[in-house]
Amino acid sequence: MSNKVKILINNMSVEIDNDLTILEAARLLNIDIPTFCHDDRLNPTGSCRMCVVEVEGARNLMTACSTKVRDGMVVRTNTKNVVETRKGILELMWANHPNECLVCEKSGECKLQDYSYQYNVNPDSIFKPLNSRDFIDNSNEFYTFDSRKCILCGKCVQICSELQMTSAIGFDERGIDTHIKIKQHDDSIDGVIDLYKCVSCGNCVNNCPVGALMPKTKDKYRNWEVDKIKTTCPYCGVGCQFNLVVKDNKVVRVEPVKGGTNDGLLCVKGSFGYKFINHPDRLKQPLIKKDGVFVESTWEEAMDLIVKKINETKAKHGPNAFSGLSSAKCTNEENYLMQKLVRAGFGTNNVDHCARLCHASTVAGLATTLGSGAMTNSISEIGGTDTFLVIGSNTTETHPVIGVMIKQRVKKGAKLIVADPRKIELANMANVHLQIKPGTNVALANGLMNVIYNEGLYDKEFINKNTNNLEDLLEVIKEYTPEKAAEICGVSKEDIVKAARLYASADRAAIYYAMGITQHSSGTNHVKSMANLALMTGNVGKESTGINPLRGQNNVQGACDMGALPDVLPGYQKVFDDAVAKKYEKAWGVSLSREVGHTLPIMMNEASSQDIKFMYIMGENPVVSDPDTNHIKKALTNLDFLVVQDIFLTQTAEFADVVLPAASYAEKDGTFTNTERRVQRIRKAVTIKGNARSDWEILSELLTRLGLEANYNNAEDIFKEMASLTPIYAGLDYDRIDDNGMQWPCPTSNHPGTKYLYKDGFTKLGKAIFTPIEHLGPQELPDSEYPLILTTGRTLYHFHTKTMTDRVEGLKATVPDNFIQVSPDTAKQYQLKHNEFITVSSRRGSSVAKVQITDTIDDGVVFMPFHFADGANMLTNPALDDICNIPEFKVCAVKVNKC
Amino acid sequence: MNLTELEKIKSDTLETVGNKFDKDLRGHDKEVRVVLRNCDLIDPENINEYIARDGYFSLNKVLTKLTSKEVIDIVKESGLRGRGGGGFSTGTKWQFALNNESEQKYLICNADEGDPGAFMDRSVLEKDPHVIIEGMAIAAYAIGAKYGYIYVRAEYPLAAKRMQIAINSARKNGLLGQNILETDFNFDIDIRLGAGAFVCGEETALISSIEGDRGMSRNKPPFPAEKGLWQKPTIINNVETLANIPQIINNGAKWFRGYGTDKSPGTKVFALAGKVKNSGLIEVPMGITLGEIINEIGGGMAKKQRKFKAVLTGGPSGGCLTEKDLNASVDFDTLIELGSMMGSGGMIVLDDHNCMVDIAKFYLDFIVDESCGKCTPCREGTMHMYNLLDKITSGQAELKDLEKLEELARLVKKASLCGLGQTAPNPVLSTLNNFRDEYVAHIVDKKCESSVCKDLINKYEITNSCIGCRICAKKCPTNCIGGELKGLHVINQDECIKCGTCFEVCPVDAIITEGVLN
Amino acid sequence: MTVESFEGNNFYEDDRMKEIYTNEKFKVLDECIEKNKLKPGPLMPTLQDAQRIFGCVSEEIQEYISKALNESYSKISGVVSFYTMFSTKPRGKHIVGVCTGTACYVKGSQKLVDKVCEILKTPYGQTTKDGLFTIAPTRCLGDCGKAPVVMIDEDQYGHVTVDQIEKILKKYK
Ligand SMILES: Nc1nc2c(c(=O)[nH]1)N[C@H]1C(S)=C(S)[C@@H](COP(=O)(O)OP(=O)(O)OC[C@H]3O[C@@H](n4cnc5c(=O)[nH]c(N)nc54)[C@H](O)[C@@H]3O)O[C@H]1N2
Ligand SMILES: Nc1nc2c(c(=O)[nH]1)N[C@H]1C(S)=C(S)[C@@H](COP(=O)(O)OP(=O)(O)OC[C@H]3O[C@@H](n4cnc5c(=O)[nH]c(N)nc54)[C@H](O)[C@@H]3O)O[C@H]1N2
Ligand SMILES: Cc1cc2nc3c(=O)[nH]c(=O)nc-3n(C[C@H](O)[C@H](O)[C@H](O)COP(=O)(O)O)c2cc1C
Ligand code: SF4
Ligand code: SF4
Ligand code: SF4
Ligand code: SF4
Ligand code: SF4
Ligand code: FES
Ligand code: FES
Ligand SMILES: [Mo]
Repeated sequence: MSNKVKILINNMSVEIDNDLTILEAARLLNIDIPTFCHDDRLNPTGSCRMCVVEVEGARNLMTACSTKVRDGMVVRTNTKNVVETRKGILELMWANHPNECLVCEKSGECKLQDYSYQYNVNPDSIFKPLNSRDFIDNSNEFYTFDSRKCILCGKCVQICSELQMTSAIGFDERGIDTHIKIKQHDDSIDGVIDLYKCVSCGNCVNNCPVGALMPKTKDKYRNWEVDKIKTTCPYCGVGCQFNLVVKDNKVVRVEPVKGGTNDGLLCVKGSFGYKFINHPDRLKQPLIKKDGVFVESTWEEAMDLIVKKINETKAKHGPNAFSGLSSAKCTNEENYLMQKLVRAGFGTNNVDHCARLCHASTVAGLATTLGSGAMTNSISEIGGTDTFLVIGSNTTETHPVIGVMIKQRVKKGAKLIVADPRKIELANMANVHLQIKPGTNVALANGLMNVIYNEGLYDKEFINKNTNNLEDLLEVIKEYTPEKAAEICGVSKEDIVKAARLYASADRAAIYYAMGITQHSSGTNHVKSMANLALMTGNVGKESTGINPLRGQNNVQGACDMGALPDVLPGYQKVFDDAVAKKYEKAWGVSLSREVGHTLPIMMNEASSQDIKFMYIMGENPVVSDPDTNHIKKALTNLDFLVVQDIFLTQTAEFADVVLPAASYAEKDGTFTNTERRVQRIRKAVTIKGNARSDWEILSELLTRLGLEANYNNAEDIFKEMASLTPIYAGLDYDRIDDNGMQWPCPTSNHPGTKYLYKDGFTKLGKAIFTPIEHLGPQELPDSEYPLILTTGRTLYHFHTKTMTDRVEGLKATVPDNFIQVSPDTAKQYQLKHNEFITVSSRRGSSVAKVQITDTIDDGVVFMPFHFADGANMLTNPALDDICNIPEFKVCAVKVNKC
Repeated sequence: MNLTELEKIKSDTLETVGNKFDKDLRGHDKEVRVVLRNCDLIDPENINEYIARDGYFSLNKVLTKLTSKEVIDIVKESGLRGRGGGGFSTGTKWQFALNNESEQKYLICNADEGDPGAFMDRSVLEKDPHVIIEGMAIAAYAIGAKYGYIYVRAEYPLAAKRMQIAINSARKNGLLGQNILETDFNFDIDIRLGAGAFVCGEETALISSIEGDRGMSRNKPPFPAEKGLWQKPTIINNVETLANIPQIINNGAKWFRGYGTDKSPGTKVFALAGKVKNSGLIEVPMGITLGEIINEIGGGMAKKQRKFKAVLTGGPSGGCLTEKDLNASVDFDTLIELGSMMGSGGMIVLDDHNCMVDIAKFYLDFIVDESCGKCTPCREGTMHMYNLLDKITSGQAELKDLEKLEELARLVKKASLCGLGQTAPNPVLSTLNNFRDEYVAHIVDKKCESSVCKDLINKYEITNSCIGCRICAKKCPTNCIGGELKGLHVINQDECIKCGTCFEVCPVDAIITEGVLN
Repeated sequence: MTVESFEGNNFYEDDRMKEIYTNEKFKVLDECIEKNKLKPGPLMPTLQDAQRIFGCVSEEIQEYISKALNESYSKISGVVSFYTMFSTKPRGKHIVGVCTGTACYVKGSQKLVDKVCEILKTPYGQTTKDGLFTIAPTRCLGDCGKAPVVMIDEDQYGHVTVDQIEKILKKYK
């Protein structure tokens, strides 16, 4: 659509697209135009007037940020008139602004300060100060709003409504009384969720041009004293990019990076969740348990002991008595070394990590139907999707920035179907919300396909060309009439039909799913059902469509890619594939087992039965995160020797014989691979205090001590070795990924990376495979003794076993207690009061939780987060999926009692 | 409804009530009634009476005989300029919207009439609502809009009610809705009420308001004709502009050009008010002189002994015209040349008891109240301007404050986002231009010649010209004026509260004030 | 008469609030919301309905509308505070508006305003203690020919002088 035009700015000529603004044109010529209210991501409002320029022929000065260029336009950005006008505007701002630069945290990075200096604003020429805005809102846990310093540029309002889509912040009053007002989080209201309250994402704070919106911090620093190091968020799989702002070897603030994965947006954990890095609880010294108590030791001593134990165990019980848990919190390099340690050092394939509890069913389900277990499409493609099916993903809380992007897209007209037992935030803007009973995804998918097939909405051409086995599928889905599916799922038939039509008739429909699909004893089948649905409508292998499992941990995708799984070496190369095994044997100089190892739950069983004697846990906290806590505690107790390598002394570490202090993400180099297969850098921003070491350093030393070659000088060395052995990563190196990361598969050094999978069909399998699947239902259903269905999951403000988030004051204060969500009717039935503590029990244990009455959940269903120790996982059912061994976290039967 | 039926209604109605249409309601020979031609003649709640006055015949002509382009050409030829204040060519504006290929377009009638001291649109809305509907339908046809809104000021409930009645009966008669006049043209109108914000008369703020938002103006470009209501091309026209349309179509562009000047053809309705003898609505051909309006139609000053001082036109966006301008032609361009503007048509006459600094301050007070608060210069700058004026009227200013005031006025004018801020300094600049001495007197001599600025008045005194009529004594709230009938009166200074009532009521101006410094 | 001199007036105790929030009124509001939802841009009409029904758009009513229209509370409160016709506190039984439009101003309406405030012992823009009158800021009532103009509820009085005010107000007591 756009045409080239020629314009003249300050007598310099430039030829550019006509859909650019004067501001953008000036930037191309390196001409600086001051702005307050402008942001590339927002619709220009032209409110601050700072960017005025002269345009020949125009009656008035024009705002460069909002005026598009025209052919032949003649612009002047630095005439006397322009400069005086800007100076005048600055004087007006200053006259209603406290003169506090001396003690203002923003000083040095404040646009008002900088421009006032640049434009020679004369304080004496200022009129009587107005002080028309005079309040300070301190009520948010994470930031302060000082209305006195606000220049009303309106950026925060726009960001909160146009980008963050929360609309918690707005203008109030008018004229000189205009001010910013924020609807703060207020959990005193029971029974209703307020969608428009502040979620403390900090996106407004991170963009305020002056010191009006500022993070709350106890660290004093001046902006000219800090360094900024770009890195990747350590929490969820979105992989947001931000700078760590560092003073005196301490992270004092986080600042998002524009462009790239998250384009400057963050969630509350990204913006404010960094304070665990310096928490006094950080492990600083190796610990050895002597007579039941931990005693600080030297690295020498700890390593000696570990190596001694390894040798003893190997001699006595052979390699299969070992197991290792790798970590989705750690880097690719570290995961690579961990599996190398287990495979080459211990001689077994008993290596696994939390992906087992998470997307094991995805990996199993998609690899066999499509060829690969990863998210098919990219985050940026959300912008082109016409219909979303979000199923079993509480996106706005668990992948907040992706959640925001979906909201943005839906606001622009895309359709949204949500299938979730709870009325999650996205459900409120959905065209259809299928509030299904937990565990009924397959019935729903079959019902949808029944409608799609019967109404002829399937993609015949795609099916013929790309798939096998349709007939078998049809045989099964024909039984799942909308009536029957509706009955099983507990939703209306009409909604199923409506959803089917919305999904199938869209040009580009995309499925986004997460734990609501995967964490079932038939999870693999739930995943395959998703594949069936997408294949039937031809929504794979195209931009903005796909089957998109949202990978949870910051580096769970990478940990899988690195082979921290019992059946595959890095890059999903089977351990029993002789050619592959030989390649690694050659590289590592040892012989490797061809026998598939134990999965995480089986390891725990084997530990419990004392078949596994030695366990090495790096960056996992199974005592809180695995199902049936009592069982896990017994397993760990029964071990001969347990090494735990963590940044904090976790509930799991309490069981260890040796605890090794690890460096956190801020203290080391490496790479994380986010949910869209994007390999991104993390960079060392601070040096470790105390004696902690990077996981890769610890593992390298161990490998060396075990007689393996591990002369890595830095993380990059490890990456190089890994890439040389891992075809999907083969084309990647630190240089190539430096800027924006790159997406695998990337087989060669000139391959651009892969935005979406299966563009050229299902090359790995020949054709994609339809799998007929019957609805099975969960293994434990409510009965008269345990009458309620418990489903478990997460909240925005905590991460997993909250080793990190509990050490961030604001996060801890926002969600201080374990809670259980119940519907108003259920509350009435069991006489539960809002905010009272009750006991929740299952056949396996019991836990205390605070009652949260909410109309977002169905009657008879309750929800508890698993963040709290002795919480949800005291109750959950360790029943496993036969194929991939994922536990049934999402359904078990419980009862409630007064404390 | 079709032409035959229209004709039948017309003749039936003329037969029954036709004679009541013969009245000449003009107050003066110099008036011409085009926009107001039906006002006070027809029953606004009876569509038939409107039809009897040739109502909806234009629409019929347009729908059955003319293309969009032809309609626009006629309007262009007529030279009609927007009566909402800006005076932009209506035909040209429509052309922009027609050229836009968007599926959805909107037409909005701006009936916000927020200018204090102006009430032209109110009359048309209340007394001839169908002419607005007909004008809107024609405009909609011309630009290709299917939906229209009338944004009516909240303070005009009767107008909204009458409009709603009119819309309902137009709909019932097939003059709005689907297949209007049995053609394939569809168009419907919804009324939206304002809620008390002057800035919502500004077209982009008005759009924000209809969308359900704070009435904050939006930066232009893009202009509404490109991206307006719900981001779709939108044309906004003033009530009076639209009321001219059916007549132009009926009688032709040439007929219209028969009134007014070459560049400002047609008539203009003014709300004549203030210290003039005959106040009220008048409609005059443009090009008439100010003197004719004030002295002939307006009958001169309300109080004989008062001297004409100035006339305010263009409301808070305009300025003042003085003695020297009485022979000037009243049209869009001349008024701007003279440092004021046509505005929507308020005309407020001032006499020598009005202080120009006080008037400027009054307008700034209004603006400070009504600024939407979005952009820096208007939100902050007008407040400082007000404060400076306050300083002047209370005798605390120095001459350099006057410079600051002018500097600020220029800044706000050139840097503000919308018309409100861009024109807000006009009253200051214009009064400064014409009455700089008065400003200087306030600052240097601490004196308000017009005896308005209370802080500058030390005391009221009765001079020898007192004729002893006792009026002041009777009106004084503290009864502190003594004197015999026909005798010289005296103010008891101890009890005087300086309310200024005596000064105001004295028929012979025998009362004077003394400044603070004297 | 300065505004400050009446500061500290405290309007309405809780029992008046009870009168404001009746179920019947919410039912009427619900009907209006259903109707308005059919239109694009339903917020302004809904607020206008609420103002009419309850006599104010208090925070509680704003919350209610926020839920019903699925619209941000911050936005709603921003809209309410922008327009002078919306009040967050209930208004008096009678609304007294002294026009301070230009035509009326030049004819001395400021004196009328002062007089009204004095008689009702209430600052400009506020409501009398007994809840009988609200002195509403008023710009041009569109009857400038009769300036200065005073409007009480729907009744308009032209050419009003200071000494007539008392008598006019009495009619509404
Ligand atoms: N704030 C925060 N973010 C996180 C994490 C965190 O701990 N905290 N963890 C990260 C990790 S590792 C992961 S794996 C992801 C998980 O991200 P999600 O899967 O989005 O999170 P969950 O809360 O486990 O569950 C998602 C939803 O599944 C629904 N659900 C339960 N049972 C069923 C069912 O049978 N069918 C369907 N359709 N839905 C069901 C629940 O109501 C819940 O809303 O989050 C990642 N992001
Ligand atoms: N009931 C229930 N249980 C669940 C789930 C559920 O939905 N319901 N979800 C499951 C899912 S999807 C997941 S992914 C698992 C997560 O289970 P886990 O992975 O066990 O949980 P985390 O708390 O993330 O544990 C990560 C550990 O790594 C540490 N750590 C952080 N950074 C580093 C580092 O750089 N180096 C080292 N060495 N350690 C580090 C942290 O302190 C923490 O102890 O939980 C599962 N458990
Ligand atoms: C502050 C401000 C207030 C305005 N108020 C009105 C108004 O009350 N009525 C009106 O018709 N136009 C008003 N306008 C002009 C409108 O923005 C717009 O130009 C006009 O409605 C266009 O109609 P026209 O072309 O028919 O004149 C106002 C403009 C400004 C800047
Ligand atoms: S916000 Fe900026 S200008 Fe204001 S006190 Fe802080 S540093 Fe100074
Ligand atoms: S708080 Fe900051 S971003 Fe928001 S309007 Fe004020 S200055 Fe702008
Ligand atoms: S922190 Fe986020 S949700 Fe809260 S006001 Fe700012 S942008 Fe909105
Ligand atoms: S969305 Fe995920 S990656 Fe982004 S800031 Fe939040 S927790 Fe970090
Ligand atoms: S000029 Fe005034 S009314 Fe217009 S946008 Fe700026 S602040 Fe608002
Ligand atoms: S940056 Fe252009 S107006 Fe603010
Ligand atoms: S100015 Fe008072 S009625 Fe118009
Ligand atoms: Mo996970």
